[in-house]
Amino acid sequence: MQKIPLFLAAVCLVMASCTKEKTDYEAAIDAAVPVNYEFKEALSINSGVYKVSVAALNGTFYKGYNEIRLTITDSRNGQNVDATAATFLPIMANTDGSMVSCPHRYDLTYTPDGNYFAGYSVFTAESSAATIWNLYISFSVAGKVQTERVTLFVQEQTNKNLNMVAFTGKDDEQYVIALVGPQRPKVAENALIAGIYTFNKPTNAPSENFPDPSQFSYSEVSGYTLQLDPRMPEPSMGNHSSINNKDLTQQDDGLYHGVVNYTMTGNWTLNFIMLNQNGRVLKGTEVPTTFTPGVEGVKSELYINILF
Amino acid sequence: MKTLIIAFCILFMGMTVAVPEAQAQHGDTEHHHKDTTRYLKEVTVIDETIVNKKIETEMKMAVSVDEFLASSDNISFIKRGAYAWEPLLNNMSSERSSLTIDGMHVFGACTDKMDPITSYVESNNLSSIDITSGQEGSMHGATVAGSIDLKRKSTPFGLEKKWGGAYQTGFEFNNNQFLNLGNLSYSGDKLVADGSISFRKAGNYQAGNNAEVNHSQYNKFNTSLGLAYKTSLLSSVRVDAIYDRASDVGFPALPMDLWLSRAIITSASYKRLFEEGMLRVWDTKVYYNAVEHYMDDTKRPENKVHMDMPGWSTTYGLVSRASILRGAYRAEIQLNAYDNLSIAEMTMYPQDRSKKTMFAYSWPWVTTRFAGLSMNNSWSISEMSTLNVGGSLGWNYNHSKYVDFNWIFHPGAPQEKNRILPGLHASYQLTIDQFNFSLGTGYGHRAPSVSEGYGYYIYNSFDRYDYVGNPNLKNEVSYEANASAGVKKEKMGIEARVNYFYIENYIIGRILSLGSPMNYQSVGVKGYTSLDHARLYNLSVNAYYDILHHLHWKGTVTYSRATDNRDGNLPFIRPMSYRTSLHYMYQRLGLQASLSGDMAQKKYSPEYGEDLTPAYTVVNVSADYRFDFKNFRTVLQVGAENLFNEYYSTYADWGNIPRMGRNVFTSLRFSF
Repeated sequence: MQKIPLFLAAVCLVMASCTKEKTDYEAAIDAAVPVNYEFKEALSINSGVYKVSVAALNGTFYKGYNEIRLTITDSRNGQNVDATAATFLPIMANTDGSMVSCPHRYDLTYTPDGNYFAGYSVFTAESSAATIWNLYISFSVAGKVQTERVTLFVQEQTNKNLNMVAFTGKDDEQYVIALVGPQRPKVAENALIAGIYTFNKPTNAPSENFPDPSQFSYSEVSGYTLQLDPRMPEPSMGNHSSINNKDLTQQDDGLYHGVVNYTMTGNWTLNFIMLNQNGRVLKGTEVPTTFTPGVEGVKSELYINILF
Repeated sequence: MKTLIIAFCILFMGMTVAVPEAQAQHGDTEHHHKDTTRYLKEVTVIDETIVNKKIETEMKMAVSVDEFLASSDNISFIKRGAYAWEPLLNNMSSERSSLTIDGMHVFGACTDKMDPITSYVESNNLSSIDITSGQEGSMHGATVAGSIDLKRKSTPFGLEKKWGGAYQTGFEFNNNQFLNLGNLSYSGDKLVADGSISFRKAGNYQAGNNAEVNHSQYNKFNTSLGLAYKTSLLSSVRVDAIYDRASDVGFPALPMDLWLSRAIITSASYKRLFEEGMLRVWDTKVYYNAVEHYMDDTKRPENKVHMDMPGWSTTYGLVSRASILRGAYRAEIQLNAYDNLSIAEMTMYPQDRSKKTMFAYSWPWVTTRFAGLSMNNSWSISEMSTLNVGGSLGWNYNHSKYVDFNWIFHPGAPQEKNRILPGLHASYQLTIDQFNFSLGTGYGHRAPSVSEGYGYYIYNSFDRYDYVGNPNLKNEVSYEANASAGVKKEKMGIEARVNYFYIENYIIGRILSLGSPMNYQSVGVKGYTSLDHARLYNLSVNAYYDILHHLHWKGTVTYSRATDNRDGNLPFIRPMSYRTSLHYMYQRLGLQASLSGDMAQKKYSPEYGEDLTPAYTVVNVSADYRFDFKNFRTVLQVGAENLFNEYYSTYADWGNIPRMGRNVFTSLRFSF
């Protein structure tokens, strides 16, 4: 009889330890998706008595969308300098000698709160021996313009939720769509933010002085619509889709905002159809709504893959 | 709502005011014995009148819990294989009834209802099963269809025979099921112990055409222990535990099997009897149970995709019950409280295993808390008539930890939800000579289940849809009426029962045109929605006739009909069914034969994946012989189910899987 409580205790102990561990879902997403929320200095140049510092998330330029913050200080005392204007022009030199830029904000906007100039750059390629990115910066202090050139390194974006795509539309214009957020999606309703940019074809011949910004100009397209159809392309998921998604439309910040619902973690394809102001399809095709288990999911001709 | 609260106040006040003064008569016979020890013993026996009743049917003594339940008129089953049948009470699915073990709430851990709680007990640790239809079953918590309470064995104190026990072994030839069941009890003056252990192992069964039904095997181990100690002449404490383990259980109707499920069901209770006053018995129990359930789809070659679907369900609870008796008035008051956490996960593996798996919660950590007070009052107005009035008032709380999942389909749904669940019922019984009549009515609410409220892409292989819950579902509200009429004579009796349910906000899955399925075999997404109303009625007629002194006949016919608000058919409604049996006893020999079947299910619901199920008839026979072997009472039984090897499936067989063909069974039981 004495042994019975012992037996009961043993049974309880056996049960208290579950056979399979529960999934720590939040930790699993954290492990799959590296995120950066902190701006750090990515490069700095000394220009006369001034020091120009460019900060980006995690102090790194990644392929895709990068928010940048440029500060100008007096290198003698470390004080901020009252600069009146600053420009930012990244140019990629290929081995064949061609020079191209990428979507960027040329005239940086001054943000008095943080005492920096704000902008962005959507690098379309990673740095390599064949592709070298040079950054051309100018700023004016007390009516005097200073220009500088520096080589920067663009690294692979390991967070697939910040992927980008470059393509030519049916209007023969070059476009870039870059994901801006969310950095770390959840199985939930997520606010989806993207930038849509187009290359402004130069109308005039390049000037003598290199670089001529008019040859490397990009702008945010305005009034477009990015129709969204998120899918899980994995054969085992049969091109599963989700509901209650909202197409991306432009908001006051110039970026395109929409809603994407991810129903489970894993690989997703954001299928897009891009329409211009007049509703004309510039790129993208409809994805059939049929559930197709066992085969790789059909994609739109315009899409970005993400993973979380 | 206000009127309801007033109604409740009146009800509970009525209990204190309307107690008649005639207390003296009852129990006087016992009071004459001054031996209080014996008094306790007798009261215990009276209180648990079912102590020695065995869980067996007339046809077969080595039944499973499912088979035993199936012998009841208002229970039918959804079957997904040979194991773990889902009981339907009054043709309503299991979330509409309150399923308890000795009043303890236990919730299965499988989103696909592969583990109704009846699968976590065994026939040799139960003494009986209490089935109550409709609102009268609200004693253990809010319900619509009624309650099924599985009563554990509990041996009384101080029996003359201190040790008792039984061992039963059996073999069933169709699926090579080998079963061994043993139980032992000790009854001392101060201490009582009940223990049981059982093993069942079965292979695949063969359907009527002798074709093997793959993935229908199972293995089950169950053990239980109960210890009671008498703390004073009129009080005792008791601890109970059941441990159940099922492994390698095939579900032929599903695209996956069960790898392992385990349950531990524990409780500690204190019981006190009172010799004087209105309060006669007070019984309080705290309980804890944990269920884990792991599916396995790797044994199905048709599954190109592998998915893990583990589930966990943990419940803590309290049941406190008081019995009040004063003359012709009797009342039961019960407090029920529990806290349950249900978790279920899906992890899908990509075909290229090096790629990242895909994960979602099918139950996103859903907490359910319930607290409710139930009571039932009964007055014996005269020798001929009795009035029962009762009610319950409960509070139900849900919380979804990962409410983001629910927001995908229901943006902005609250993470927490409180519901008030009232219930009322009244019935009147009248007996005039050989005739008896009863009339009853009821009203009650139930909260949506975890799956109905918070389920997320739960694959239902019957209609092949993924089901999504809706946290904003309204309470299901049932209005019910029931009646019965019967006549009993010396050698014969006949009784007809009918009940009718009008259920508002009837919860059922409806196709969502916008969703896209997630599971490999799925064809679409259904969301749980409330129909404006549904109507169900059930009719049964029972009769018996003692043809000779040792030859008895029994027969039952049932008919049910259920429609939604557009007069469409509801799914899983039993067509007209019949059962008739003959029982002959000659000295130590018993012979039984039965014939049962369903008519064709013509009122089926294609919307829910049903098709026309043809009629079938099954014949069973068995013979048993009782003899004494040394000091053991021994019963040997041989029989055959589905004697003519009919190939059939019923309206509630998931995916029309065929039922078992001819099954010859043998069983031998020793008891002392």
